[in-house]
Amino acid sequence: MERRDRRFGWMLSAPGLLLLGAVVLFPIVWAGLTSFFDYTLLMPGYDSFVGIGNYRMAAGQGEFLHSAWITLLFVVAVVAIQFVIGMVVALALNDARRGKSVYYLILLCPLLINPVVVGLMWRMILHPTLGIVNWLLGTVGIAPVNWLGAPDMAFWTVVLVDIWHQVSFMVVLLLAGLSALPTEPYEAARCDGATAFQRFWHITLPLMRPVIIVTLLIRMIFAIKTYDIIYIMTRGGPGVATDLISYFIYRRAFVSLDLGQACAMAVMLLVVIAGMTAMLWRAMRQVGE
Amino acid sequence: MASIELRSVSRIFGAGAQAIRAVDRIDLRVEDGEFMIFLGPSGCGKSTTLRMIAGLEPVSEGELLIDGVRVNDIDPAERDLAIVFQNYALYPHMSVRKNMAFGLKLRGMAEAEIGSRIARVAETLGVEALLDRRPAQLSGGQRQRVALGRALVREPRAFLLDEPLSNLDAKLRSVMRTELIKLHRTLGTTMIHVTHDQVEAMTMGTRICIMRGGEIVQVGRPQDVYREPVDTFVAGFLATPPMNLLPARLDVADGALRLRIEGQEIALPLASRPGWARHAGRDVILGLRPEDLHEAPVGAATAALDCTIETVEALGPETILTLRLGRDGTELAARLPPEGDWRIGAALRLHADTSKLHLFDPETTRSIPGN
Amino acid sequence: MRPHILIPFGAFAMGAGAVQAQSINILMEAVPDTTYVQELLPEFEEATGIDVNLEVVNYAEMHTKLVPQLVSNSGSYSAIVVDFYWVGEFYRAGWMQPLDDRIEADGFDTSVYVPAMMDLVGEVEGTTYMLPFYNYAMGLLYRTDLLEDEANRTAWKEEHGSELRPPETWDEYRDQVAFFTKDGIYGVVNQGLRPDPIAMEWSNYLFAHGGTFMDETWHATFNSDEGVAALKAYIANIDQYGPVGAASFSFDEAFNVFSQGQAYSYITYNFFRAAVDDPSQSSVAGAAEIMGVPGPTPGEGGSLNGAWGWAIPRSSPDPDAAWEFLKWVESPEIAKRRALMGGSPTRLDVFDDAEVIAEYPQTEALKELLLGAHNFPTFTYTPQFVEVLGRELSLAVAGEKSAREALDAAAEEFDALAERDGRRG
Repeated sequence: MERRDRRFGWMLSAPGLLLLGAVVLFPIVWAGLTSFFDYTLLMPGYDSFVGIGNYRMAAGQGEFLHSAWITLLFVVAVVAIQFVIGMVVALALNDARRGKSVYYLILLCPLLINPVVVGLMWRMILHPTLGIVNWLLGTVGIAPVNWLGAPDMAFWTVVLVDIWHQVSFMVVLLLAGLSALPTEPYEAARCDGATAFQRFWHITLPLMRPVIIVTLLIRMIFAIKTYDIIYIMTRGGPGVATDLISYFIYRRAFVSLDLGQACAMAVMLLVVIAGMTAMLWRAMRQVGE
Repeated sequence: MASIELRSVSRIFGAGAQAIRAVDRIDLRVEDGEFMIFLGPSGCGKSTTLRMIAGLEPVSEGELLIDGVRVNDIDPAERDLAIVFQNYALYPHMSVRKNMAFGLKLRGMAEAEIGSRIARVAETLGVEALLDRRPAQLSGGQRQRVALGRALVREPRAFLLDEPLSNLDAKLRSVMRTELIKLHRTLGTTMIHVTHDQVEAMTMGTRICIMRGGEIVQVGRPQDVYREPVDTFVAGFLATPPMNLLPARLDVADGALRLRIEGQEIALPLASRPGWARHAGRDVILGLRPEDLHEAPVGAATAALDCTIETVEALGPETILTLRLGRDGTELAARLPPEGDWRIGAALRLHADTSKLHLFDPETTRSIPGN
Repeated sequence: MRPHILIPFGAFAMGAGAVQAQSINILMEAVPDTTYVQELLPEFEEATGIDVNLEVVNYAEMHTKLVPQLVSNSGSYSAIVVDFYWVGEFYRAGWMQPLDDRIEADGFDTSVYVPAMMDLVGEVEGTTYMLPFYNYAMGLLYRTDLLEDEANRTAWKEEHGSELRPPETWDEYRDQVAFFTKDGIYGVVNQGLRPDPIAMEWSNYLFAHGGTFMDETWHATFNSDEGVAALKAYIANIDQYGPVGAASFSFDEAFNVFSQGQAYSYITYNFFRAAVDDPSQSSVAGAAEIMGVPGPTPGEGGSLNGAWGWAIPRSSPDPDAAWEFLKWVESPEIAKRRALMGGSPTRLDVFDDAEVIAEYPQTEALKELLLGAHNFPTFTYTPQFVEVLGRELSLAVAGEKSAREALDAAAEEFDALAERDGRRG
């Protein structure tokens, strides 16, 4: 009986698993395979096997390594700042008794905007001579800021725009987690003598751990894949200050038409993401114990 | 060790016309070392009052004093009171040991001192084996002990217990009840225990504070409140089955008080309750505890009441009868010795101990004093 | 009675025929010249019964959309438009059909095209693959009102001892840029965004300084002293004479600065000339003109050439219908009418047409500009080279590399790409 149930279960899930395999696994396997060939769109074909040649070439390429480094900085900056802001806003909203749905709606607005539109919008807003931000700064006597034209500034501008665009994702997820927390431990902690910060540190953070892990992971993976904003706002410039890895790989595939190398880079990125995911997962579990 | 005093304290929710007074200008003094019970039906304001004392609810009006010091605006952390919640409110992510240590660590106590306190309390409560478990791995009773332990290790000025036993099954509840009584006796610390269970109220407290609708109805030692309820609410709330309340008419004739109850009459000498004479010629409510009804006359001060048996509950040490006055009059209950041959529907003549009668004014529901 | 019955029959027959075979898809960029084609299309459909579906997208999407269709054996585009810097790549991959047989069979005259246009988006290695569609050679937009201003003229004369006039050489232009940078106006606005805006714009600076991209044997020459001087001039313009942030401007942002009257000059695509006179997007209508980018001497131009060509992909599902369309759209009549609507011609007969000149007096200047313009190296790896050049120029502008270092790095990669493309014989 039990075995028949199990077989029936497999039968029910088989179509879904097959579809998942076809949709998710196939491209990954294809990319993995392609990464070992000198495959270009100019001459597509699996005629010349190059082994780990593409990987070696990528690993020895200064621009690629620089992109990886910039991406790491970007991800850490974006995720860390978004997490802090997201947590603060979520905590504030969690205490709000009235108008929560209005706040939700306002917060969700940026998230609903297409990243391309976000990029165009901010390019306009941050236009050094014609944009509203520098005009406003000018009214209080601050010299125009070169938002996208100076390397360090451009990096932080892109970080800020991404934060503006995505921070509500953090807020919404964290808020959902916060509002699902039980209230009693907080009252117990207040009587135990915990200050607001101690309650946050010793009660909220540990209780939120699963939500935080998932939120950070998702945001991190999204951040690594950041592409649209870079494409619209800086094209990786000025210099190579904002040349994020996804945009780099995209160019390798669609400008250079060198799919073999692009796939090798994508596979390396995949390995790094998988590794980071595992590390974060384990770290967070240890903290909890 | 602390005395707790409430001076015309109110808790008001909302504002303006919609304002609700959950607690309405109550005055109470809980003496140092006392075991005070807040008793009342749900929504009577007893939990709110406790939470105001704890500092979890603000005091809207009036003054709250601990050891004579006004604490209205003092943070709960600094009141040095420990509260045990109905649903335990353990920290789900901490082991039992950490749950207990949390409050002590926040106060900067040395590790060694924390360890010895926890060991002592764990032994008292019999939870030594559970110290490294998480709350999710404990049964309800174990959790309650841990919650209690968390309060005990703090050695606070007073314990506030918010219906801590109501989620336990009957047997565990009576065990914990006994343990709490013993604890109070050993520690001598002030305790305030909120409950809606009159057995807990009667057995545990040194005093009971009965509340209704945000107001205090009566405060007193359990026996006193039981013996002399100030109104029909208290009379009907304490004990199971509660005091029988029968509509009656009071007359004075020939130096005797005569109570007519649905065609039957109880007479008692005027001299025994001279105060009642003032209500002569008026409707009253006659209060009569079930245990004050007997199968046979008890001494001289008895009066017979003819009843019909409706249900019979044989509890072992005693039997509870539900009856109708006359054939189908007002319902009343009697607590009788276990042995007896009662048949449902049969007539039964009961004898009331007239020295134990209570009279209440039907308009004010207040007790009518006998002298 | 009869006509009433016949009309629906006829309509049915025509409709059915059009659906069956004669329907072609073309992917085009969302630019003014595409709009002009779109407006004239009903005439083609009426004359030939061939339905044309224009899929109009942004430049950014075009290459990505085209490549999968071109790689496959049977794509969805019957005809395509090819940007000049894809030409080498498309040719190398064999994605375009040769047009010579069709040209000969129909007697289509290609000699009327500006020769540089045919070189850029017409012939590759002696075979015709494309018909030049429109040019986007770059020119110098400058403010005539500022040049004519009396106070400016006097001040200039005091300072330089010559008349203030449209610059005839790069040096004269450079002095004007410095001269006009005052009173909240910038001498120049640049488009410093990676990769094509900066690479294309800087190419003008290179040519204007007498530099070249490469020698006959496909060795890079743009890291010469002229190239370095050109890059230093470019950086000086951004840092000293341009608005804050020009290092990150795309052409639309730079154009906005110019059209809001905040800059004296802007080196850009010639199709912006028409936009300058459009009061809805410009506050300097009638106060700006375009000319070829001035070169090292009065006779030489410094402009960079640019153009799109029509082609029939190898994967075209209906090459015959596509050729019908190409013939029509590039016919003298339609080419002229596109020019009259504001298009940028590639044919000399259109440039010389009296009606066109009457409508747009700047046509003659544009012809001069085009004739003096230089071509960007077109080979298989042009897009990649634009990428590399853009990156290195941007690094130099950002101050992360010296001009010489940046150009040397780009030159090294150019040589490697040329080598890989088999250009060294």
